[in-house]
Amino acid sequence: MASEDEEFTMLFQDFYPSLCRFLECLLGGRAPLAQDLAQESFLQLHRTAWGTMPVDEARFWLYRVARNMAINEFRKSHTRYRLFDRVVETMRPRARNPEQEYESQERQTLVLEMLQTLPEDQRTALLLREQEQLSYREIGQVLNVSESKVKVDIFRARASLRERWTRISHVNHVNPV
Amino acid sequence: MTCNFTEKISSLIDGELATAEAREVERHLIGCNECQEVRADFLNLRSQLSGFETSLAPAVQSRALKKILSTPRRTPARGFAWGFGTRFGTQAAAFATLVIVAAIIGFLIYKSSNTPSNEKHIAVQQTPTPVPTATVEQKQPEPEASPNKGNEQTAPRRPPSPAPKKPLVREPKPGEQFAAIPATPEPFRSADAQTMTALHFEKSETLLVAFRNVRLNEPGSATEVTYERQRAKQLVIQNMMLRRQADAAGDVQISSLLESLEPILIDISNLPDKPDKDAVRVIRQRVERKNIVPLLRVNSTALARALD
Repeated sequence: MASEDEEFTMLFQDFYPSLCRFLECLLGGRAPLAQDLAQESFLQLHRTAWGTMPVDEARFWLYRVARNMAINEFRKSHTRYRLFDRVVETMRPRARNPEQEYESQERQTLVLEMLQTLPEDQRTALLLREQEQLSYREIGQVLNVSESKVKVDIFRARASLRERWTRISHVNHVNPV
Repeated sequence: MTCNFTEKISSLIDGELATAEAREVERHLIGCNECQEVRADFLNLRSQLSGFETSLAPAVQSRALKKILSTPRRTPARGFAWGFGTRFGTQAAAFATLVIVAAIIGFLIYKSSNTPSNEKHIAVQQTPTPVPTATVEQKQPEPEASPNKGNEQTAPRRPPSPAPKKPLVREPKPGEQFAAIPATPEPFRSADAQTMTALHFEKSETLLVAFRNVRLNEPGSATEVTYERQRAKQLVIQNMMLRRQADAAGDVQISSLLESLEPILIDISNLPDKPDKDAVRVIRQRVERKNIVPLLRVNSTALARALD
């Protein structure tokens, strides 16, 4: 039992931050909610499924459960947050001559916002590829879809983000990606 | 995006193309400006997403772990007792052993009493129906239940003894973005060349960050850039050497990054000691537009990890 807890602790230390980041990007930058959902995913793993699968499999299990939780949360609070996001967007100060440091932060916020314009499956597939460095086969396992769908989703996500970024860059005079 | 190859660029940078196809796309890339831009944009998007930093305090993490570990578990630990309970575990095991022994004895008696003509028939009857994933299960029959029904047949099983912890996150390999499928050989580069490239990326990153921080407060000219100029001169030579090595080894990703870096280093090394403010600004804008600093960081980290 003690070694199982140690093993679980190692898994937690390795993947809790990545899971938080994944959820934060999936949810559009809501860090506290992302941390809560990541914790809830690990809690479910520990209570119900830990010990019944290999560690590698546990990782996919975690991402699958976390993603489902994020979708539920998104459905529940979509309207509320859409309104909130609009308020934040309106209130946010805009720098006329931003420094490069600030530009970089601005760019990160922009990426986060643009991610929210993607369909959920495309966004998840892209994040699992770019942040978690999963292969198409592994992403297919997490999302329970075929590799060819993963491939198409990732391409569409990239193409869509590229197009939007170019358009926004032209309008806002932000340096392109 | 009008070129037919753009979708393949996406798979190429993910290392998901077969060798022959990857080579074909790489050859196409040399002559197609649109695809080159697409690749650069996709790679930049990658660096933006992978460089995303979450605001997670260590205290929050340890609090969460404590909370999880203090929560009681619903299922017992893995092992044979799963599904039987401790009370009936021994009896069940004894009964199962008895059944297996009886089956083996019965089979041997039946086999020895049959004629050769019947053996053929038995062999045909006993041939298992070919199921694509059956081999995996036959090799490692473990009475474990997995919530992931779709993947349990293909997922590798861990031995019951605690194995040495293997890295769970797949480390980015050098040249991964243009690498072929895992079974095929990757572009070979010596560890020395990779170390030198990683160091070169780090030095170049430091130089570009220093150059970015050069003050432009004075009315006509920027502050002295003698240090940056001299450093850039040293790095240009090294850059050329490493780029040739990467080209020779077929490491397109590293070669491409070095190729983007080279004109910037040349421009910095060609600046006068007290350059015009605008000249500095133009170079800075180019650095920013190409997003080269994060790319250098990502690649040097990846190379360093691979070397570890």
